[in-house]
Amino acid sequence: MEKLVGMVLLAGELLLTCGAEMYRVEETIERMGISAGFAQVESFATPTGLFLSLHTSDGRVYTRVRRIRRSFSNLALISEINAISRSFSSGETTIEDVTTRLKGLKKEGVPHNFLRLLMGGMGAAAFTVLYSGSGIEALIAGIIGSIILLIDNKLEDYPIPNALVAAVGAAVAAGLAKGAALLLTINTNVITLGAVMILAPGVVMTTAIRDMLSGELVSGVTRGAEALSIAVGIATGVAIILSMGGN
Amino acid sequence: MVVQVLAGFVSAVAFAFIYNVPRSEIFRTGILGGLGWLTFSLTKDAGGEVGAMFLGATSVALCSELFARRYKQPVIIFLVPGVIPLVPGGRAYLTMLSFLQHDYNEGVTLLVSTFFLAGAVAAGIIIASSIFRVYSRAKYVRRQL
Repeated sequence: MEKLVGMVLLAGELLLTCGAEMYRVEETIERMGISAGFAQVESFATPTGLFLSLHTSDGRVYTRVRRIRRSFSNLALISEINAISRSFSSGETTIEDVTTRLKGLKKEGVPHNFLRLLMGGMGAAAFTVLYSGSGIEALIAGIIGSIILLIDNKLEDYPIPNALVAAVGAAVAAGLAKGAALLLTINTNVITLGAVMILAPGVVMTTAIRDMLSGELVSGVTRGAEALSIAVGIATGVAIILSMGGN
Repeated sequence: MVVQVLAGFVSAVAFAFIYNVPRSEIFRTGILGGLGWLTFSLTKDAGGEVGAMFLGATSVALCSELFARRYKQPVIIFLVPGVIPLVPGGRAYLTMLSFLQHDYNEGVTLLVSTFFLAGAVAAGIIIASSIFRVYSRAKYVRRQL
């Protein structure tokens, strides 16, 4: 029984740290708990903590609390856990199998590789085009985007608040854009805008709205606040650089 | 126009990498990004910015739900990178910047328009997902009978 409780808890914790919506976390816990043979499953997921209690048919109750301190966006892990929980519910895999697979996923985290930096740069360039920047401006924004993504990846290893990480990235982006403007005749606003877009809390903002409108008020407000603090961080970083050099 | 739609595609693909979407689904999320921006730019003149944003988000969300069922993946995998070109992140940033530079008139104008655009995106997403929830509930009830 203990093993089953641990497995369900681990699945829920992993989903939360990867940035899944609350209803998905609660649904997954419920589905896995019921198919593990518990009579009743209650769970309450928030972005910063997970509570669950599993009732057996002979009246015992297992209750667990798990504090979630850090979360990141890793949609591939959500998809994996989804597949694992589906195959467990349909009885295709055993508890041991599921537990080892989940533990393996827990070690993964977010991959930091060169391709990801390159694609981040491409994203910044594409945003510059969407905000009607020219080709050369898109190129510069792309290079800056890759650089700030690299810096933020390094910073995320240390216990620094997300908003501060975003502020540092944004300050570097604004500084580099200003530096490039000394050499070339370019619009620094468009470049900075494109480059900081890759720091913008897109996943957080979308899941916040989704949670809020599907009645998950606690996590909707929490995630909305997180998105707001990151947005303020980005703007502060840029504003500091802009005010230093005049306009 | 073609360049812009292509940029929508590329930005969705880029964010699919940043958020680590499974490799097999990356091309499909890119298509959604392009689709969203295409819908937005086609309807912008007729329906205004907010209306176009709503239609763009609705089209992306509907296709995300379809893809999620078709390819057996969580909706969020297609939805999040797909709406990225539409989410008014740039405008939210410009709002904050205006306030920090003591340009309050511009700031409030931007704030209100950001609010409406984000609301339009949210409305599109929630309507699409409600349609699919009602549909699968109806299917479930029919099976019970």
